[in-house]
Amino acid sequence: MTQTPVTTLQIDQLAPQYSEWRRARDSLVKARFPILALIILGLLVFLTIFGPAIAPKDPNRQTLVDRLLAPLQPNTQGQVIYVLGSDVMGRDVLSRIIYGARVSLLVGLAAVMIGGALGTSLGVIAGYFGGYIDDIIMRIADIQLAFPFILLTIMVLVVLGPGVLNLVVVLGVAQWVTYARIARGQTISVRAKEYVEAARSMGASHLEIVVRAILPNIVSPLIVIASFNVASVILSEATLSYLGLGVPEDVPTWGKILAESRDQLLAGKWWLAVFPGVAIMLTVLSLNILGDWLRDFLDPRLRGNR
Amino acid sequence: MVRKLSFLLIVVLLMTAVMPSLLSAQTPDDTTLVIAQSVDVAGLEPASVNSRAEANIFFHVFATLFEIADDGSLSPYLATAYSISEDGKEWTFTLNEGLTCHDGEALTAEDVAYSFDRAFDPANAFTGNTAGFVFPSIGFQGTRVEDDLNVTIITDRRQSENNRLALISEVYIHCKDSYAAMTLEEAAQNPIGSGPYRLVEWVPDDYILLEAVEGYTLRETAFKTHYWRVIPEASTRVAELIAGNVDVIANVPPDQQAAIDTSGVATVQAVAGTRRIYVGFQFGENFADAPGYEALQKTEVRVALQYAVDVPTICATLLGTQCERASSMVNPPNNNPDLAPYPYDPAKAEELLDAAGYPRNADGVRFETVLMGPRGRYLNDANVVQAIGQYLSDVGVKTTVDIREWADYRQLVGPKEVGPMFFLGTGGGTWSALYDMTDLSSPTAGTNYTNWQNEDWFALWNTLGDVTSPEEEREKINALLDIFYNDPPWLLLYFQPDFYGVSNRLDWTARRDEWIVIYNAKLK
Repeated sequence: MTQTPVTTLQIDQLAPQYSEWRRARDSLVKARFPILALIILGLLVFLTIFGPAIAPKDPNRQTLVDRLLAPLQPNTQGQVIYVLGSDVMGRDVLSRIIYGARVSLLVGLAAVMIGGALGTSLGVIAGYFGGYIDDIIMRIADIQLAFPFILLTIMVLVVLGPGVLNLVVVLGVAQWVTYARIARGQTISVRAKEYVEAARSMGASHLEIVVRAILPNIVSPLIVIASFNVASVILSEATLSYLGLGVPEDVPTWGKILAESRDQLLAGKWWLAVFPGVAIMLTVLSLNILGDWLRDFLDPRLRGNR
Repeated sequence: MVRKLSFLLIVVLLMTAVMPSLLSAQTPDDTTLVIAQSVDVAGLEPASVNSRAEANIFFHVFATLFEIADDGSLSPYLATAYSISEDGKEWTFTLNEGLTCHDGEALTAEDVAYSFDRAFDPANAFTGNTAGFVFPSIGFQGTRVEDDLNVTIITDRRQSENNRLALISEVYIHCKDSYAAMTLEEAAQNPIGSGPYRLVEWVPDDYILLEAVEGYTLRETAFKTHYWRVIPEASTRVAELIAGNVDVIANVPPDQQAAIDTSGVATVQAVAGTRRIYVGFQFGENFADAPGYEALQKTEVRVALQYAVDVPTICATLLGTQCERASSMVNPPNNNPDLAPYPYDPAKAEELLDAAGYPRNADGVRFETVLMGPRGRYLNDANVVQAIGQYLSDVGVKTTVDIREWADYRQLVGPKEVGPMFFLGTGGGTWSALYDMTDLSSPTAGTNYTNWQNEDWFALWNTLGDVTSPEEEREKINALLDIFYNDPPWLLLYFQPDFYGVSNRLDWTARRDEWIVIYNAKLK
């Protein structure tokens, strides 16, 4: 009996069609928790997009006679209007949390995009060119790292003043160092690879090499970092809003709702702290769980384990 | 899981509120009294004091010629007696013998004169209560030293006796040699007083420590030391009081009074305060380009806005008490009885705004403006400001609320850089209509924060010195208040109710005029 040699091409043809998307789906189903995290984050995105249509009331509408109603407690006219209760100004807590989701997600994603784009660009430049360019960029990064992050953002916000745009820029700029360090390290590890050398020998420009050969091969760890980073930025936004440095008075955010609850804790108005607190907790937890899963999923060393 | 995490969250939040207190907690012993206010002093210069919270501390460090109680009664302090010249413009005070300042320097008539003249000196550019309120109110011109014990205060006008004496009793007396030897910067850090307590230490934004002056005979002191702590957060002040770390706290929010009353260690003292809380309309031209400035110059618009705000509901909900809306800047019962408080009538407000030439546009907006306000100075101030912003927006005056921390806000109030609308409270009394009205003693008075220039008011005000009988004075006061009512520089709100949390170990009664005079407090 003669054996037919099996070529690489034939192996590929014999292997089942197993796309990355299907692999991701199977991995998610197997892990279970990331699915829950995705559902929560999906709900958050839904609230962000359709918030104004869903929120039962204008989040800034005050009804003083309805202030501090507990969840589902009837108001003075005997109507149950405030599902999650009302705050010290008689505003609907549910509506404020729904609108707060918009700010949290917007700030989280926008700041990470700014920080990620800036940090990745500088990190790749530093790693690719090396030498004094690398030294300058990384020393700047070291200087920024020497400042406590929260102190730096507070200082800048005190100067610039509160506002969503200022908040996004400050938090974004504060994140770039993380991305720069990772991008630099990854770039150094791939810049000597054969395919980069091949691109260079074929006359590709620096920009082409970076965009086509390097970036696609270093993006996985950056995506994982970004997923964690969104969570930490949302927490930072909440912290700054809690300190009164986040956004203007008429913009509800989870951190601000939490800050407004401070004076009511001793008075037993638990719903003012619990609901925004739970919203922050679920969002951050979901992003962290998803980040964990993404890290494992994109790690080729763990690929065989799933 | 969620319940556990929620519980954990509450614990963390409570710890956040209380942690700063725990870190600096020090249960006072029987020789120490701890008072907590929401704001710190701006400095230690006696001529720069411009808030009651600051005055509460300074009053214990610096003595005055006379001392006034909240019912208007006056008692001798550094001075034993006074006499008035025939034309009523010169007042001569006779001092106690053997007075000294805290550095041991003898306190004589020359020092009293120096205290007044130094505050008056334009080169020093003081804008505090003495230069900005007292001097314009009494028409201060200068001083004359008669001898070691007698000093004359020279003014340009006759004035009702009680009112003038009360105003003069707000000037802090200090010694010439010590202050002449210091620069203004040094003086702002090293107060050398003449009162029953001396400064030991000031840690900005934390506390001021005072110590009783040994051998001080003009006032009795039951506690050897006073800590005047700065605790901006109302909930933290309450937590500190309940923990027994503080004896007296000011500005207890209504929602937290039950927590104090049921604690078993302290109770809430509620008093009908005399502080006039209002929204000022800024007339200063430095705001000419600010949104709404032009509209707010119109008397009709300012009158219309009086009808737009539901003051009784604000009182009942945010201040935790029923209150009658103010009909003027004067505390009852000295107000004009013919003037009824503006009622809450948004329909009328809209009608008047239409008539004033400000109809709603397609977006429902008549004009836009900004309402500035402080956080942490007055009872529930930030919330009240937000509520007013809502009421004004409801009648089409789209109002952006700009709330600043008090430390920042007060820097703007003094130089009149708040507007085009701003929330403020100024101290008042129940014993004199004129005392309450002296905020507007001249177009340039430091306390004329709105830069109001009504010619009728100031012309009539300047005739007050010529009155020959209480009836005539009353007539003029009523006429003045009528002018104020019909061309209001203020959006009239309320007289602030005051809530103090007081430790059960302490025998002390809160005053209506917000002075925390506590040198005479005792242990029960």
